[in-house]
This record gives sequence, C-alpha cells and structure tokens, in this order.
Amino acid sequence: MNIKDLPEEDYFTSGHTACAGCPAPAIVRNMMKIFGKDTIVYTPANCLLVFSGTYPYLAWKVPYLHEAFENTGSCISGVARAYKKIGKKALVVGIAGDGGTYDIGIQALSGAAERDEDVIYVCYDNEAYMNTGIQRSGSTPYGASTTTTPAGKKIPGKLRHKKDMAEIMRAHEIPYMATLSISHPKDFLNKVEKAKNVKGFRYLHVFSPCPTGWRFDPSKSVEIARKAVQSGMWTLYEAEYGEITGIYKPKKKIPVEEYIKGQGRFRHLTPEMIEELQRWVDRKWKRLYGEEP
Amino acid sequence: MIFLAIFSFAIKLILHYHITWRMYEIRFHGRGGQGGRMAAEAYALAAFLEGNYAVSFPFFGAERRGAPVRAFTRVDNKKIRIKTQVYEPDYVVVLDETLIETEDVLEGLKEDGMVIINTQRKPEEVKLSKPVKCATVDATSIALDILGRPITNTSILGAIAKATGKVSIESIEKAIIEKFGERLGKEAGEKNALAARTAYEKTLIGVSQGGKAFVPRKKWLPDVNEMPVGGATPAMKTDAGLVGIGSFIENKTGDWRTFIPSIDKEKCIGCRFCWFYCPEGCIEMVDNKANVNYDYCKGCGICANECPVNAIEMKREVRT
Ligand SMILES: Cc1ncc(C[n+]2csc(CCOP(=O)(O)OP(=O)(O)O)c2C)c(N)n1
Ligand code: SF4
Ligand SMILES: [Mg+2]
Repeated sequence: MNIKDLPEEDYFTSGHTACAGCPAPAIVRNMMKIFGKDTIVYTPANCLLVFSGTYPYLAWKVPYLHEAFENTGSCISGVARAYKKIGKKALVVGIAGDGGTYDIGIQALSGAAERDEDVIYVCYDNEAYMNTGIQRSGSTPYGASTTTTPAGKKIPGKLRHKKDMAEIMRAHEIPYMATLSISHPKDFLNKVEKAKNVKGFRYLHVFSPCPTGWRFDPSKSVEIARKAVQSGMWTLYEAEYGEITGIYKPKKKIPVEEYIKGQGRFRHLTPEMIEELQRWVDRKWKRLYGEEP
Repeated sequence: MIFLAIFSFAIKLILHYHITWRMYEIRFHGRGGQGGRMAAEAYALAAFLEGNYAVSFPFFGAERRGAPVRAFTRVDNKKIRIKTQVYEPDYVVVLDETLIETEDVLEGLKEDGMVIINTQRKPEEVKLSKPVKCATVDATSIALDILGRPITNTSILGAIAKATGKVSIESIEKAIIEKFGERLGKEAGEKNALAARTAYEKTLIGVSQGGKAFVPRKKWLPDVNEMPVGGATPAMKTDAGLVGIGSFIENKTGDWRTFIPSIDKEKCIGCRFCWFYCPEGCIEMVDNKANVNYDYCKGCGICANECPVNAIEMKREVRT
C-alpha cells in the first residue's frame, strides 16, 4: 500500500491539542484510515489520551474508551470478548505509550498476547513518560537526559540501554508483530494493513520522536525518525509466530552520532558515550541482520 | 529625646517595609513551550537576588506545547504564605499576542495595574477590554534575531524590568545567566541575557485602547440527570458546542502558530507526503495540489521539511 492508496476519510480529527510537531497524531490518523470505522480504540493514561480525549471533547470518530494506565492488555481483551459474545464484528485496538507498554503495562500485555486475544496492540514509543513531564522509562536510550536521569555532575543521563520490547513480543510467538516508523510510509502502511487482516494477537510498535521531551525543532520529527532507522537505533522488521518474515535494511548505515545531533537530550554526550551507544547499535544490528554492520 | 528619635525612626522603617512596601503579584499568560514558567521563575530569582522573598509556580493542567498556559510570581519583603493562584495581579505579562484576542487578559488586574505584551504594535495600538497602562515590545523578533528561536521568555523579562521598575535589568541579567546558563550552557545563558537587555532598551510604555468585548466561552456542565451513564459521551450538540465523539473539531488550534507555511502550487507535484505527515491533518488535496487549512495549522514546519520539491516555505506570521 502507498500513500496515494489511503482513503480520504478520517476517524481522527483536527483540533486535538498535541504539541506542534508531535508525530503521534499523524501515526494514529493514518492507522485509523486503514482500520476504518468499525474500530474501537482504547488508550491508557498517556499524551495521546490527554491530547485527543480531554473530556468531554474527543478527536476520535469511533467508539473510544480509557481505563487505568497499567491494563491496556486486559481492557482490550475484555472489549473484544464482549463483542464476540454479542456477535458483532469490530476491530479492537489498544494504543499505549512506551511507559504503558515496556514498564507498567507489560504483564497485562504479555497475558493478552499469550492467550492470543483477537486484538491489535499498538505501542507508540517516544522513549520516556512524556505526559507527566519526561521521566525515563525502560525504553529511554542510553545517555538520554530525562527529569529522572538528568545529565549533570552525578550521572551523565540514563545509565542503562533501551530494553528490546519488540524482541520480547516476538518471543511470545504471536500471529503478527512489526516495528514501524512514520518516516517509511509504504512500509508503515503495509504493516498496518497486514495487522488488520490477521486474526489473533497483533503487536505494532511505532517509533515516535517527541520534540518536547527530546528537545529538537518540531519540524524535524520525521527526519529524526528516518535517521533512527538509517543509523540502526530503530530497526524495521516483522515476524509471524516468532519467525522474522521481513526486515528492512537501510541502503546506507549512518553513524549514531548523526542521529543524536540536534537532540537536546543527548547534548552532553562525550565521545566515549557515543561509542558506547554505537556499540549497542552494532550488537543489535548483528543480532537482527545476522552479519557485521 | 534620643529614645524618641530612635522610636520614630523605627516606626518609619516599619511603615516603609510593612505598609508602603506592598506585596506585588504577576500573572504570565503564554503558550506551553514558550517558557512562561521559566520567565516566572527567573523573575522571582531576580527579585530574590535583590533581597526580597519571591515565589513562582505554573498552573498545572493537561496543557501541552502551544496551548494557553499561565504562570505566577509573587514578591514581598517578608515571607510569603499565600499559596493560591494569582487572581488580582499587579502586572499581567502576555508572551503571545494571539492570547489577547481570545481571552480577557486584564481579568482581575488591579486599578493601577499594568500589562506588558509581546507584540509588534505600539501600546496605543493594542485593543483590550479597557484602557490600561501598557508596555509593548517585539520580543519574538528579538528572540529570533539573537537566539534564532521564537522563545520569548527572556526578552519579555527585560521588558518587565523596564515597564515596572521593580527590579533592575542587571538583576534580571544575573538571574537569566544563572537559571538558563545552568540548563543550556554558559553561552546560551549570556545570549538570553542579551535578549533581555535588548528588549529592555526597546520597550515602549503608554496606554492601551479599551472597549474590546469578550464573550466568555460556555462550558458543558450537565446535571446528574443529564450526565450520560458512566461518562460515555455520544456526539452531542449542546449550548456550549459539540461534545463527545469528533467534537475536538471545534477547537481551532491555528492561533498556536508563530510560523506559517505557504505552498507554491506551481511547484507542488501532488505527492501527498505533507498530507500524510501533517500532525494536524490540516492539509487537503485540492485538484491534486496541497492546500493548508489554517484554522488548525500549528506551524510545526514538518510539511516544509519533508516536501521533496521544496514547494513549502515557512514564514514568520504577521498578525494584524
Ligand atoms: C497507575 C498510574 N501511575 C501513574 C500515572 C501517571 N501517568 C499518567 S500518564 C503517565 C506517563 C505515560 O507515559 P507513556 O506511557 O510513555 O506515554 P507518553 O505520555 O510518553 O506518550 C503517567 C506516569 C497514572 N495515570 N496511573
Ligand atoms: S510531550 Fe511529546 S509525545 Fe507528548 S504531545 Fe508533546 S510532543 Fe507529543
Ligand atoms: Mg512515552
């Protein structure tokens, strides 16, 4: 599927209050174009909830609900089963942030995946708890400065590397999982379409640069997502029942240094720290592509 | 005799500090990301450096970058015990001039109060709900010139110093270097101090026009019988406008913008990249050419950055 094949009809409206330049609204709007009108959306507490559902206002044009921060997996399971019980067809989609996925929501998510619930779980990954003011999460990369890993005299930003959530989900051997980036529209749309048409538990993990939390110019969101893919900081691949069925390899691999340029959260990185980040990328590259970078 | 002299001197001192020295309060109106909170904090620090007590805090809500936000500063010569928001400010500071169009920023302003506005207009050209003492400065241009970004919170501090005379520009500079330098590095701290000094020199003081009417925005406040079960809200038309599914469409976010995209229709090849990437969903394709709906465009500039044929240019928006 290409951009030109996307329907005009929107199920996510303008007028939401996301930060200027936040790519999350474009991510969900384009996904919804494919998911269509017979979709029910769930979001836990996160930026998306707050900027698209500030009661009584809603940017969604489909049934939409939210419950607690930690139970996206359980809530979408319940909704999907209720629909099955009353015999109605609906696509049940949960959209959680990285905090809601990697950390607090992981057990509900893992349970739903293991039971193979008939739902789509989307994680939009902005690498920290943004809604509450940029606290580190299991997804925050090494070296990034957040309000709970502030770069200063005591620590040089986050000391641990990013947790590989996509691989954790692949290990669940679910019918379909994929990693996506808005900077690669064709790949993005194909994966969303595929997820829509598969039955059982589906996991979509989208990279979502945050101009506010990462401190970069709002016009650069898509460019930074693209550089994340080109550098190997973010890898685009998909898997069915645990087997990798497709992996995108950047034509030219750029150094991590080029990716972190212009992002305030990495401004303090020393050459040694950049090397450490590069080593992490190279290890991941070798593991996923099965060859030296 | 001597005793009396000391006594009357002491009384004078007490009078000076406790009666003539009255606590003053500032309310900052800005948009999330413009740094209203940092401005309120840096002002408090400047007042503190001059030996006063000062507190500052932002209003917390669900607001994000670009949405209207408020922050407050209180200054006194003794400990400050009040913890409320500022409802009757002595000074109102407006970091984003589009805000004076949508709400009455003068609300609660004291009789002899003053408003300080970031605008290209002169005080006499500013229209508010009533004529008040008014200072204006083009903080956005100063910020763009000196910092390269439309972050106006340091320039406006210079204007406050000039307009109110309550703290010296030197203390403002010191506070900025300390506060911003710590976060952004020494050079950035000094640049921001320069922005404040420049604004200080360019601030105009006068009296605003009055007579602008504001219709307060109605709120949907259902009683217990009207409230949908469990808060489940279908699309409904109320006196306060749409609520429920799809209702955000009535929230026009176009006034968040500093920069405005303009599309060269000749160059546009109809590739739809901007249509796909626009976070606001405010680009429509008309005759296979991109067209911006400015009611919602927040001016992020992603479209211009991603256009493969450079058909989109971001320009500083001039509001009249
Ligand atoms: C149990 C619980 N703990 C904490 C919170 C406060 N909270 C609301 S949103 C949020 C951060 C969400 O982070 P993430 O899932 O990464 O989404 P983002 O806001 O970054 O998009 C937190 C901590 C909460 N709502 N519930
Ligand atoms: S804080 Fe980040 S993720 Fe949240 S709305 Fe703003 S840009 Fe988007
Ligand atoms: Mg997050």
